[in-house]
Order: sequence, then structure tokens, then C-alpha cells
Amino acid sequence: MASTTATAEPNYFEVSKGFKSWALTLDHKRIGLMYLFGILVSLLVGGAFALLVRIELFSPGETITTAQTYNRFFTLHGAVMIFLVIIPGIPAALGNIMLPIQLGAPDVAFPKLNLMSFYLWCTGAALLVLSIIMGSIDTGWTFYTPYSLDPSKSAAIIPAVFGVFVLGFSSIFTGLNFLVTIHKFRPAGMGWFQMPLNLWALYATALMQVLATPVLGITVLLLFVEHTLHIGIFDPTLGGDPVLFQHFFWFYSHPAVYIMIVPAMGVVSELITTFSRKPVFGYRFIAYSSVSLALLAFLVWGHHMFVSGQSALANMVFSALTFTVAIPSAIKVFNWTATLYKGDIRLQTPMLYALSFLILFTIGGLTGLFLAILATDVHLHDTYFVVAHFHYVMMGSGLVAFLGALHYWWPKFTGRMYPERLGQTCAVGVFIGFNLTFLPQFIMGSRGMPRRYWDYDPEFTLFHRLSTIGALILGISLFVTVVYLFASLKLGRKAPQNPWGGSTMEWQAPTPPTLYNFPEPPVLHELYDYSDLVEDGDNGWVRKSEQAKAKAKES
Amino acid sequence: MADNHDAHGAEGGGGHGHGHGSPFIQHHYDDAKHQFDSGKLGIWFFLTQEILFFSALFVAYILFRAHRPEIFRYAHHYLDVKWGAINTGVLIVSSLTAAWAVRAAQLNQRRILIGCLATTIVCAFGFLGIKYIEYTHKVHEGILFGKKFDPCISSGGAHLITKKNMCEGTKASACSPGDIDQRPDEPGWQVACVAYEVHVKYDMVQGTEDKVTKDPKTGAETTTQVPVTKEQKTEVSRSELPVCQMVSHGAHGPPHPENPPCWEIAQNPNVCKPDEVAALVHYPDEEKRGREVEIDLQCDPAPKATDQGDIFASTSDSGHRFGKPTFVSQSKPSKHDLEMLEAMGPPPEHTNMFFSIYFAMTGLHGIHVLFGIFVFIWLLIRAIKGHFTPEYFGPIDYAALYWHLVDLIWIFLFPLLYLIH
Ligand SMILES: [Cu+2]
Repeated sequence: MASTTATAEPNYFEVSKGFKSWALTLDHKRIGLMYLFGILVSLLVGGAFALLVRIELFSPGETITTAQTYNRFFTLHGAVMIFLVIIPGIPAALGNIMLPIQLGAPDVAFPKLNLMSFYLWCTGAALLVLSIIMGSIDTGWTFYTPYSLDPSKSAAIIPAVFGVFVLGFSSIFTGLNFLVTIHKFRPAGMGWFQMPLNLWALYATALMQVLATPVLGITVLLLFVEHTLHIGIFDPTLGGDPVLFQHFFWFYSHPAVYIMIVPAMGVVSELITTFSRKPVFGYRFIAYSSVSLALLAFLVWGHHMFVSGQSALANMVFSALTFTVAIPSAIKVFNWTATLYKGDIRLQTPMLYALSFLILFTIGGLTGLFLAILATDVHLHDTYFVVAHFHYVMMGSGLVAFLGALHYWWPKFTGRMYPERLGQTCAVGVFIGFNLTFLPQFIMGSRGMPRRYWDYDPEFTLFHRLSTIGALILGISLFVTVVYLFASLKLGRKAPQNPWGGSTMEWQAPTPPTLYNFPEPPVLHELYDYSDLVEDGDNGWVRKSEQAKAKAKES
Repeated sequence: MADNHDAHGAEGGGGHGHGHGSPFIQHHYDDAKHQFDSGKLGIWFFLTQEILFFSALFVAYILFRAHRPEIFRYAHHYLDVKWGAINTGVLIVSSLTAAWAVRAAQLNQRRILIGCLATTIVCAFGFLGIKYIEYTHKVHEGILFGKKFDPCISSGGAHLITKKNMCEGTKASACSPGDIDQRPDEPGWQVACVAYEVHVKYDMVQGTEDKVTKDPKTGAETTTQVPVTKEQKTEVSRSELPVCQMVSHGAHGPPHPENPPCWEIAQNPNVCKPDEVAALVHYPDEEKRGREVEIDLQCDPAPKATDQGDIFASTSDSGHRFGKPTFVSQSKPSKHDLEMLEAMGPPPEHTNMFFSIYFAMTGLHGIHVLFGIFVFIWLLIRAIKGHFTPEYFGPIDYAALYWHLVDLIWIFLFPLLYLIH
């Protein structure tokens, strides 16, 4: 099947050429690729800021820069990584490319809106760059009022918050597009419970994007008018309420964490089943837990404000609700582990990332419970413990899964294999570097090292140095990964149609896919059934039944 | 759910020939219905997003109103219910025509469709026009948010005294500063006083001025010193401006010494010229005092210099030149006036927050109306070109749904902001 269909029609790279054919494309794969390019560049920029922060903290006192500049570094690291990299990472880039193909559909529901989302993303990124030129924000990515109301910072804050506003709408339109696509473009025979788990996760994510992001939109818009018109809603000197900003901000930004983690869970579900050659254990539980995480996400924002003067009752309610988040998260981890059990596990790069995810997410999730407990949170609030916790969730889980997904689908949408050995090495490097960076931060935090500080007591020096060395290992691994991925576009081996033996619909599309993905309508096989798939050397995996058919034809 | 997508692959390019009736059915959809349903679901998600976008402002409204109800009770008097009501009507009409446009497109009635779309656009412009009138009025009167909240307030007045009507001589009650002390304990009184005396010295100053004369023949210029007499005005002293005491009894609690809007009136150069004074003051209790005090609020002109060359204006021998009570009426204040009196104490602290909310909500709503205008103009052009058919009318349907939401939000805003009791 692979050879017969792939040559019949030009793939989506060949179908048209030139700058305009990309800039004005409505093809979801090309839009996804442009997103991917932007996101990888942003990843390197955000990573560079992270390294600058870590290098500054290598020794107490001034190491490479002043406290003022240091504030800008960690702010830009946060803002770039969250708004430009992790939030659009899996949905807008990889989701854009894979969602229609996994559905067996020709495109997303609204291709023009999809292109507009991409340009909104570019505009938002450009505004963040403008903010850097205008002096750069130093408020932290959270823009807390009243600190962020300082009129002397307006020149940098105005473009930054407007950038975040625009990025928010990019995210909303992507989510809206995916929701409609999943509702209206499922092929005949694919009910909700025949969908790959990645689509469930993308659906849950899209739901959060549409329901949470508008609140961020209005919040940063109000911050924008605070600076331009001094409207006063968050300004305590005018009678406004700065804590209201925190409520609005976290009403979005807690779900935002799930916008980063739920799609990661989706791709990890795909990776674990494919690379252990076993159907997913507890399909419905994983599917429902994605949706319940999306709904719970809206009920727990107050756990960011336990020490912001919330009432004791509110604190207790938010604390209790936060514990419930552990239930769907644990359901997923147990089901993935059960899927691995007695599986035929193959440790290729995507699977290494998936296993890293499993470990890092467990650590990140469990340390979240420490912070949900009111008494311990008072001690741990705003320390490195929190920093380590959310990096385990957002980076250790979100970004690691993104890398796993990137390697998994890379051959499909580029048509080239990445260097497997190098990939595995870098995956191990990411895992080691990541843990070396953030495990010491748990210890520092529990001993009282506050976050966002430029200076520290000498007793923390060892931990900070370990952390900085870890960050360098992590940075080098990520940099090498980005380099070899780009290099593989020219030098990589031509990818077969199904290099991993995946059972979902995208592996029936030619590699790379044609303009409308499927020259022939794809066949709906039973989900996660690997019994029919066999390895066939350089041709990757093929279906026994189809091989037999083809042989019969030949003879 | 959608059916299979067999037909798609075979078509390489971007042509529309898919066997679809309307050229506007995009080729990645199965058919017109598939496209329409997808768009409809999309617009519903979009409207959900819009509701959440506004929701934060509604939450802010609820919180501020729950914490500071007196601000809302006080400040809504500044809004003109008449304009708000007219705008509600205008939007409801436009919502009707928007819905009718959908019907017209479904029935292929092109004329009615164009008429309905045009009416919707006209109504939307009307709405924004009225909003423009309201906004400019507020800008003039300093009824804005934050530090720009700087209106003239007569706390005791039966009417809101604003910068504009003050200098036009609107009637309001008045007293002189001494009156406050005379009746501190009487219940039901609300007094705010400003008195302002300026002592100005007008001197006729003798001096010289250079005079240049030009010889018509030679063109040479000669400068001579000529004696001149000029009027010079100097401010000698100024009566101490009383901090505008908001004496309020009964429901409104103790005076607000930190809240001197009347003082600001006197200071505000937009209201009166430097030597002029406006403002003043209170409502007497008819029962107790047996009289009604009123005064014409106007900006008294500064006294003219006399030929003596040297005068003091506004001396005490002429009594209170400014702000002197004039007894013009013996009538009782009307019931409406008394109600207003009840509502209008000294402005509560941070009354400006009401206008933060008001401008944030109505401003965001106005931007949505503006966006709607663009959409409907685009639809009107397409309708004139004849793009819409009973098979393809999705954009009109979606825009109408959007417009209904914009209408609905206003229907919430109108009572929440204008009709507070
Ligand atoms: Cu949270």
C-alpha cells in the first residue's frame, strides 16, 4: 500500500512552491509546520533566557548581570516559554498537523481561521519582541498588580500585555477550530469512543482554550487600559482591587497549565500503546479523565492565592478541590503503567520521552499535593519548591511529551527519519539534565530559598550550582535536538509510511501526506489493535492482511 | 455526524467544482449542510467565548457593587436613563431586522434582505451615535474614571450640578459659610458650602513706554519715551477657602472632610475665571426653617477698577459679594427633589470606580457594536452582489446570532448601570 499510493499524487510539499504558497496556505499541515518553526525558535530563545538566569545564580551576588536585568531574564523566560512555546506547542503545531489526519479528514473545519490564528501568534510574538526593545517587562510572567501598574514601566508593559491578548485569541481560535473539527469531521464509523486518545485530549484542551482564555483576554486588556487610560479597576489608589487581578489571572492560568499538560497526556497515551504493542488499558477511563481534568481546571484557581488574603473558607474549598485533581491524574498514570505491563516495549526516542514523562509527571503531580495543603503551602509558597513543582509539570511533562510527539510524528509529516541513536542520547540527556536542574530546587525550596531572587545565602550555593549544571546539560540536549531535526530534513533517511507500527488513521496516510491527506479513503481499523501489524524491514510496519492481498494481486 | 470524505483526494487544486450548488461551499466540506452545521457550531463556541470575555467585567461589577453599594446608588444618577432606554430600543429593533435578514435569505427575498441588513447597520450607527453623545457629555462634565473623575457636585442640591450647567445659571440651593455653624444639629440637612473672597488691588501705574517714530524721508528711526498709565491688578489677599464641608446628617453619616468637591469647583478654572466664584450650597429643611433658600449659581464678574486707580474689591462692608444667599422662593421642594436629596449625599469615596466599570463595560460593548457594523457592511455588499441563496446563507445566520448576543449584553448592562435603586 505504501508504495502504490505515495507516488500517485504529489505530497503537500510538492503541490505548490514559493513564498506565497506558504504564507497564504490554507493547508493545516503547512500552517502547523510554520507554527512548529516559530515554536522551536521561541524554545531556543526562552531556553537562552533560562540559561542566563541559571548562570546568574551560579554564585551568590552578582555573577553576570544586575538584579534589574535578572528580573527581566526570568520574566522573559516565563512569558516566552508559556505563551509562545508550551501553550501552542502541542495543540497549534503538532495538533494542527495531526488532528485532521488522525480523523481521516481533509483539513480542519475552518482553514482560513486557522491561518489567522497563526498570524495572530506571529503578531503576539512580534509584540513581545517590541516589549523587549522598549525596555522589557520585569514583572514576572504573571503581571501581578499593583507592581505591574507602575507607570514608569508602561512602555514595555503595553506591548507585552497586548501581545498576550493577541496570543490569547490565537489560542481561542485554534481551540474553536479543533472543537468543530472533532464534532463535525469524524468519519462514518468513528464514534466518540473510537477516537484515538490524542483526540480526546485535544478536545479537552480545546474546550479549556475556548472557555478560559477569554478571561485572560479581558484581564490583560484591562491591564492595557490601566496603562493607557488609568481606568483604575485594579489600582488600589483609585479604589480598585489588585487581588481581583490575581483571581482573573489564575482563573485562566490554572486551566492554562492543563492546556499544556492535557495534550501531553494525549500524545503519551498514543506513544505508550504504540511502543508497547498493546491496546491502551482503560481507554474510557483515560478519555473521561481528560475531560474531567478540563472541568476541574476551572474550580481550583484559588490555590495560587492561599496567602493573598483569601477567606479561610475559600482557602479550604480550593484546597479540597485541588486534591480532587489528583484523581483523574492518578487514573491516567495507573492506566499507562498497566498498558506497559507485559508489553513488547521498544525504547525508541519517542518512547524514551514517554517514559520520562511518566516519571516526571508523577513527581510533578505528587509535589502539587504538598502545595495544596494549606499549612505546608504557607511555608512553601513562593519558594523554589513551587518553581520545581511547576517545571516538573509544565516542562518535565508538557515539553517532554511535546518532544516525544515531535519525534513520533516527524517522519510522517516531513517524510524523513531523524537519527535514532542521537535522538535516544538527547532524550536521556534531557531526562538527566532536567532532574539535575530541578531536584535540587525542591530541597532548596523546602529550606526556604525564595523564588525570583537574584541573590542567596551561601548555604544554597551547592544546590544552585547543581541546578545550573543540569540546566546546561538540558540546554545542550535541546539545542542538539533542534539541530539534528532540521538537519534530518536534508540528510535524513526517507521515512516509510508506518515507521512505528501505529494503528491509528494517520499511519494510513502517505508519507508525507498529500494535500488533502488521503488519496484514497482510509480504512477504519479497530483502535489500538496491533495484531495485524508486522515489521517489514525498511518499509516499516505493514498490515498482514494487506500484504496478503497485494501478493495475491501480483500472482 | 459527518459522513465519509471520499471525494476529496482526487482534486488537486483549489477549484470549487465539487458538484456543489453554491460556489461558496468550500471543498473540504461534504456538502452545503455540512458547511452550514460546522459554521453554526463554530459561532456558538465563539459566542460562548464572548460571554466569558464579558464575564470578568460582570464579576467585577458584582464584587464592587456588593462591597460598595452606596457608590452605585449614588453614581447612577449621572447616567441618563432616557438615552439608555432609547439605545435599548434601537438595539432591539436592529436585532429584529438581523433575524429578519436570515429569514429573507432563506426565502431568497433579496430586496428584503438588503433592506434588513441596511436597517441593522443604521440602527448600529444610531446606537453608537447616542453613545457618543453620552460619552462627550461625560467628558465635558468630568464624569470619568480614575483620577479623571472630577465633576462639580452640589451635595445638597436637588440637581446634580455639573460644570456645564453651573455656569449657565442652573438654580440650586445655597448658603453662606456661616450657615453651617448655625444649624449643625438639624436632621435631614445636607449642607455644602463654599465661600470665596478675593481681595484685588487695582493700581493705575505710571510708567513709560518706548515709542518708535520713522522719518518718512530718510527712513531713520528714532525712539522716544512716552509716559503711559496702565492698570495693574494684584491679588492682595484671598479669603481662606473653606474646605468644602460636607455636613450630612441622618442616612449619610458624618461629614467627609477628605472629600472637597466644592472646593475644587471654586478652584477649577474651567468653571469660573480666577476672580470668579461659583457654587454653594444647601437645602434647608422647610419644616424647621420655614423658608426655602435658593441662589442663582453664576460666575460673578470681577469688580471693575475705578478711576481712583486703587480699590479693594469684595470687601466685607459690601457683605458676601459672592455666594450670598438670595431668598427667592417660599415653595416646598418637590417630592422628586426630596428623593434626590435623600440619594445625593456627599459622594462616597471612590465614586470614580462606578465609572471605571461603566466605561469598561459599555466601551467593550461599543467595540463589539463597531465590529458588528463592519460585519454587516460586508454582508450588505455580498447581499447586493447576490451571493446569498437559500442554500448558502450561513454568514448572515452567524452574524445575526452574534448581533443577538451583543443586544443581549446591552439588555443586561442597561438595568445594571442605569436603573439602580
Ligand atoms: Cu493552579
